[in-house]
Amino acid sequence: MPTDPAKFKVAKEVSRKDILLCLARVPETKRLFAGSSDGCVYHFDLAEEKPEPVAMEGHTGYVTGVALAGKQVVSGAYDGQLIWWDAESRAKVRGFKAHDRWIRNVVASRDGKLVASVADDMVCRVWDAATAKLKHELRGHEPMTPNHFSSMLYACAFSADGSLLATGDKVGHVVVWDVATGKSLATLEVPEVYTWDPKARIHSIGGIRSLAFSPDGAQLAVGGMGKVGNIDHLEGKARVEVFNWRKAERVAQFSGDKGKGLITHLVFHPQGDWLLGAGGDGKGLFMFFDVASGKVLREEAVSNHFHKFALDETGTRIYTAGHNKLSVWEAAA
Amino acid sequence: MNSHFCGSSEHDVSRRAFLRTLGAGTGLAASGIGAVHSFAKPALNDTLKSSGNSVILLWLAGGASQLETWDPKPGRPTGGPFAAIPTSVPGVHISELMPQMAKRMKDICVIRGLNTKNGDHGGAAQLMMRGRADEPSLRYPDMGAVLARELGRADSKVPDYVSFYAASEGRDFSRQGSSFLGARYAPMKLAESMVPPNLKRLESISEIDHLSRAELQQLINNQFIAGHGTGPVKSHANAYARVHGLMSSETLFDLSQEPAKARELYGPTLFGEQALMARRMVEAGVPFVRVSRAWWDSHGQNFETHQEMVPELDRVMSALHDDLKQRGLLERTLVLAVGEFGRTPAINASLGRDHFANAWSAAMFGCGLKPGAVFGKTDKDGQTVIEDQVGAGELFATVLAAIGVNPKKEYHVGARPIPLVNPGIKPITQVLA
Repeated sequence: MPTDPAKFKVAKEVSRKDILLCLARVPETKRLFAGSSDGCVYHFDLAEEKPEPVAMEGHTGYVTGVALAGKQVVSGAYDGQLIWWDAESRAKVRGFKAHDRWIRNVVASRDGKLVASVADDMVCRVWDAATAKLKHELRGHEPMTPNHFSSMLYACAFSADGSLLATGDKVGHVVVWDVATGKSLATLEVPEVYTWDPKARIHSIGGIRSLAFSPDGAQLAVGGMGKVGNIDHLEGKARVEVFNWRKAERVAQFSGDKGKGLITHLVFHPQGDWLLGAGGDGKGLFMFFDVASGKVLREEAVSNHFHKFALDETGTRIYTAGHNKLSVWEAAA
Repeated sequence: MNSHFCGSSEHDVSRRAFLRTLGAGTGLAASGIGAVHSFAKPALNDTLKSSGNSVILLWLAGGASQLETWDPKPGRPTGGPFAAIPTSVPGVHISELMPQMAKRMKDICVIRGLNTKNGDHGGAAQLMMRGRADEPSLRYPDMGAVLARELGRADSKVPDYVSFYAASEGRDFSRQGSSFLGARYAPMKLAESMVPPNLKRLESISEIDHLSRAELQQLINNQFIAGHGTGPVKSHANAYARVHGLMSSETLFDLSQEPAKARELYGPTLFGEQALMARRMVEAGVPFVRVSRAWWDSHGQNFETHQEMVPELDRVMSALHDDLKQRGLLERTLVLAVGEFGRTPAINASLGRDHFANAWSAAMFGCGLKPGAVFGKTDKDGQTVIEDQVGAGELFATVLAAIGVNPKKEYHVGARPIPLVNPGIKPITQVLA
């Protein structure tokens, strides 16, 4: 029985003074690891009535990527470091400079054997999660935009079986990689998510901020924000495009109605019932998509921008990390 | 006693003349309703005008963040994600986005204590360009017009005030103008192109015809002036001569005249090209060039915006510094980088920063300034100025003083004396050479 998107309601909120930029959840639990603007990774157990966050100190910049790989947590930050932590003891296992510039995201394959990091050095690095040995260095994104400014490599995502990895950059270029060989399998262009304003403001906004493979790996969803008139603000409509990436065919596109801003995270329902995107502008935004019909099932603008979220195994509970807040959304029975 | 001049030997005469004028007081009477006069002695004005001093204003329109440039607060909740890096001035750190300027900090002067109180784009832009707010019945001339008048030469073949503003956003917020100084000192505005329109001789007119017409026009004018000598006729003749001068200096606006190495130094962006053009102009004797880089108004995605734009500023500003220095122009050129305000220490939910005029920064280098000086201090979160607070007037007066213009000088509009800066406003002597 598919979970009805209309049934999700806020079940719990934890207020914060910092900005929570990323999130990973320990399977079958309500334990979360969240990366913060204060340079810490925080452990929360939302099963507790009043969760007491535990700080894990080690980064010196915004922590923008956190992934659970087996019994280890791997975090990445704007300081260019990747840090491995023991998920139980929360002790630092190892840490090193993995990228020359800001790390934008860290993801783990579902089996926990691989970790991938993307950064503004425009390289995606794939690591052996157990040993932290570099397995691949994936270079498929231009360091400069066509307008002579530095580009950014914001997004990456593994397929459910871990055989594919997708990376997406500021100007809307996507590469799908074969994880076993490190070879590029396909590229896609999603220019609608990048706004270069050559006349009024002479700079840019946007970029691919999120990627997600469908459970069978056949489709790739790409999230960001549509074209923006006034790039001083996140006032463009939230935008998601879904591709049959092997054929380079767009099979669906969604644009926010109420919702403005960036789609900063995308996840397919474990059983493929729907695709969930979240992000926002100054406010938060949820969008549930039915890819097959091309319809938006639910669009909800709420307070406080979301940066990342985690969906539980049943697809009935959503944990969100965002501006000054951690939240739990539950689908009422 | 501190001198407010560049310090080069060629300006000794200016310095002495300037001091003599200050001592002489304000002995000249103004006359004529609507006419503008100044108390400066003609001899001093001539000396100053022949000094070749110039100002390049890098106008950071929309409001660049002081926290992502000159006054970083790393590790604070307001600090944002960028680190601070050491500079060539021990103990002074700036944003990691400016590694080139960090190396050159020993030549740079930073004002960290600006409190200009106005967070509205239009009002703030006018305030910063004019050094004070207009009165209901009086619009003050802006910095460019004042310096065009004080430094421009009547016989110059190049414009006295050039303003580049390529972006359309905010172009009208900082309405520049010469006000009561007259159109003679209004800017030549270059928006859509870096070359003035209609600069080229019409193809239907031959070069010989063109020169002959100019000679005839000059002959008739001279005869008329000899007989009548009226101001308007002289003014018209001057304007005509300047247009001719511009047409004959067509190559001034041609960046292809620059070697590839110079163009590479400034970078491929429009801002870089305009800054290179500004260098060509001050080299050719233009007293004031404003190069506007818009638009910094990062209410959303402040860090992405600054990651994009500050490295460009770093490259362009350092290129300008090196180029001017290498050509021996730094001693007579002042470069000021400032916008209408800074940005809030608080980071909003769009990861943006909003307008903030209470504690922000400007940076400058070159003529008449104390290299490596840092003046003013903000609190640990950048919310307030806690030492050496200054406003727009003080910054305006400092530029005037550094370039050799007495900020106490007065114009007269009719019988009313109009000082270049408001009474009580003084230059920041701590940053003057």
